[in-house]
Amino acid sequence: MYKLFLCLRYLRSRIIAYFAVLAVALCVAMMLIVISVMNGFLDKIEQAAKGLFGDIVVASGSLSGLGRYDEFMAEVRREVPEVEASSPFILTFSLLSIPDQPYRQMLQVAGIRLPQRAEVTDFKKGLFAQAGLDAPTFDPPISLLREKLDAHTEQLKAIYKNQLDQRDPADLPGDVKDTLRRLEVAWSMQADAAAVLRGAESYQDRLKDLGEKLAAAEASAHGLYSDEAVELAEELDELVEAAQYQAPNNRAILGLGIPGLILRTEQGQTVRYISPGDQIVLSILPLSSKLSAADMTPNVMRLTVVDDCRTDVSSIDSAIVYVPFETLQRMNNMGAEYDGDDPDLQVIPPRCSQIHLKVSPEYCGEEALREVCKKVQAVWYDFRRRYGDAVEPGVNVSIETWRQRQAKVIGPIQQQRTLVVIMFGIISLVSVVLIFVIFYTIVVQKTRDIGVLKAVGASSGGVAQVFLAWGGAVGLVGSMLGTIGGYYFVRYINPIQDALDTWFGFRVWSREWFLFEKIPNTVDPATAAIIAAGAILAGLIGATVPAIRAARMQPVEALRYE
Amino acid sequence: MNDVAIKVKGLHKSYMMGRSRLQVLRGLSFDIPAGQFAAIVGASGSGKSTLLHLIGLLDTPDKGEILLDGTAVGEISAGRRNRIRCRDIGFVFQFYHLLGELSILENVLLPAKVDCPILAWPGRRKAARLKAEELLDSLGLADRRKHRPGELSGGEQQRVALARALANRPRVLLADEPTGNLDSKTGGRIMEVLARFHREYNQTVLMVTHDASLAGTADRVLHLADGRLT
Repeated sequence: MYKLFLCLRYLRSRIIAYFAVLAVALCVAMMLIVISVMNGFLDKIEQAAKGLFGDIVVASGSLSGLGRYDEFMAEVRREVPEVEASSPFILTFSLLSIPDQPYRQMLQVAGIRLPQRAEVTDFKKGLFAQAGLDAPTFDPPISLLREKLDAHTEQLKAIYKNQLDQRDPADLPGDVKDTLRRLEVAWSMQADAAAVLRGAESYQDRLKDLGEKLAAAEASAHGLYSDEAVELAEELDELVEAAQYQAPNNRAILGLGIPGLILRTEQGQTVRYISPGDQIVLSILPLSSKLSAADMTPNVMRLTVVDDCRTDVSSIDSAIVYVPFETLQRMNNMGAEYDGDDPDLQVIPPRCSQIHLKVSPEYCGEEALREVCKKVQAVWYDFRRRYGDAVEPGVNVSIETWRQRQAKVIGPIQQQRTLVVIMFGIISLVSVVLIFVIFYTIVVQKTRDIGVLKAVGASSGGVAQVFLAWGGAVGLVGSMLGTIGGYYFVRYINPIQDALDTWFGFRVWSREWFLFEKIPNTVDPATAAIIAAGAILAGLIGATVPAIRAARMQPVEALRYE
Repeated sequence: MNDVAIKVKGLHKSYMMGRSRLQVLRGLSFDIPAGQFAAIVGASGSGKSTLLHLIGLLDTPDKGEILLDGTAVGEISAGRRNRIRCRDIGFVFQFYHLLGELSILENVLLPAKVDCPILAWPGRRKAARLKAEELLDSLGLADRRKHRPGELSGGEQQRVALARALANRPRVLLADEPTGNLDSKTGGRIMEVLARFHREYNQTVLMVTHDASLAGTADRVLHLADGRLT
């Protein structure tokens, strides 16, 4: 009984024990924070890679791409039942501009098929207007877009009001004035977009109405030169503009984060300059392994934005536009090519740059996925043998799991994580050393008590247990406090960073430097348990040598100790 | 019970002092009958405390034998030595040796706690506490139970040490200069208490002191000089 009693008493009544507890708690919190953030970082990169490419990627090593992709996908689905869904993909570069504005931005443009892509990747997860829809498309209901845009504009107004409310309107700092001005621009642009959407919504009715009015004007005395007819003609122009929206192929989904198209507030809110209903222009240089640079002429196309999408990986979100697969195929000169003499004779089939495959979750383990990948490779070899035009002769086609494809990105981060964990592990050894020093000092101070304990019949083992249990208790209490502290720190790491930024202008996690919008803030319970167990072990290890010294102490010498 | 509580036969003990060996006890032999209050008187450095530590199983002799209630303690296991120290021997030290982090009551309960496995403690706690409180009351420390040793005078601390030594009602009480750190008046009171408990519990008491006048309280006085009885 005395072991537990003394252990608890020493824990409570010795100030120095609190320092040991604090050291353990800090080390535990530090390890938990570092590992959680690093794991979250890695996890996000992996998820983003998986979200972008699906489970298996079939990619052509040449700009000429992969032909007969629909047949190949059908064959894969037939031969490899583990593959659940598939989707072709084109990726190329483009110059983005906004009509009537001096805006220019180089970015990647991805040709995707919807809703198939949503089955293969988690594309739909980050959509703005079509969030929560099972089958997103490039032709969403206009009413939905209007509803979302209106809600977003309301949010913008609230932000605007909030900025004003916090300060004296007569004495606004320069940066707030600047933010307010930008918000006003966004507000006005959103109003324009909403007008386009409203116009598109009433397009059919207005077209019919306008037709009747024009016919009436034509029949009137002044005919087409009357003021009324001129007004009607202007209205017709507007309608034609709205009609752009009517062609489902001319749609685009923006990555949410393209510089200049959004405004990010201090509080991390995103306000859109360009929103559903607005138009963009893409200029694409069709890339081909056969054409020389002199032969290339850009294909320019005006597209209506119908949605935007965020993967939370800013390097992707800030530099991508998604357009319908067939549209990009045409713009990138990857459509079918026909014989000059016989226009019905297809010499080159339509092509894509990649095919993304989704595998059933039960085969998504690393090993199982590699096995499925091998099966897909076997199907490809057979397919290529049968269809000579599937890919240009000599072109290598890689079939890899998402992890293999991203190895160059993920590998170094994994190594970095291991390195950081080792470094912080070494730092955490300090807590072991600290506990050792503290306990050694305590054992020396307690020499007489140890003598008394032995004089009243305590065994050497019992005395050792008092100090070991004390060490374990320091580890236990320290690890509990550290785990709770670390958990809440990780959980609220983003608000903490925002507060640091607001108060001191100090930002550790810069959106410009790192890939993600937010610092990962999830704690893996298993990791937390391992760290906590490690801390308890550290407490025990730190207390072992002092405990052995206490146990070995001869009672007579201990009692005589001055 | 054996008639002879403590039997010492040809006891030798030496210590290393620097490079030289200091012979403290040189073939000491005597018997203490059960229930006797014996005092060992000797000058400082005569080996009194060493003898008490050997009898109290806090140390082991170089040569010779100690029998407690007829049991040769040199041959028994460490576990049994611990049990004897806990149950059969009570120790009172010159410098009290109370545990500073514990209250007075907790110090007195310590031997009972050492003697009790953790799971059995809830069953024994009440009785042990009652016994400890009774002891403290009888020593005039009823209102000091919750105090820390540092808050008590030397005489009070020694009374607490006495209560701790008596907590498990040991058959043998060993007192090492119990009044050595106290003024004569306080020391006299401690001696009265020792004598009272000796009478009440019929304990075997072995006290070492350098003060011949205190030894007068004892039934028998042994004189130790240069590691031998004289």
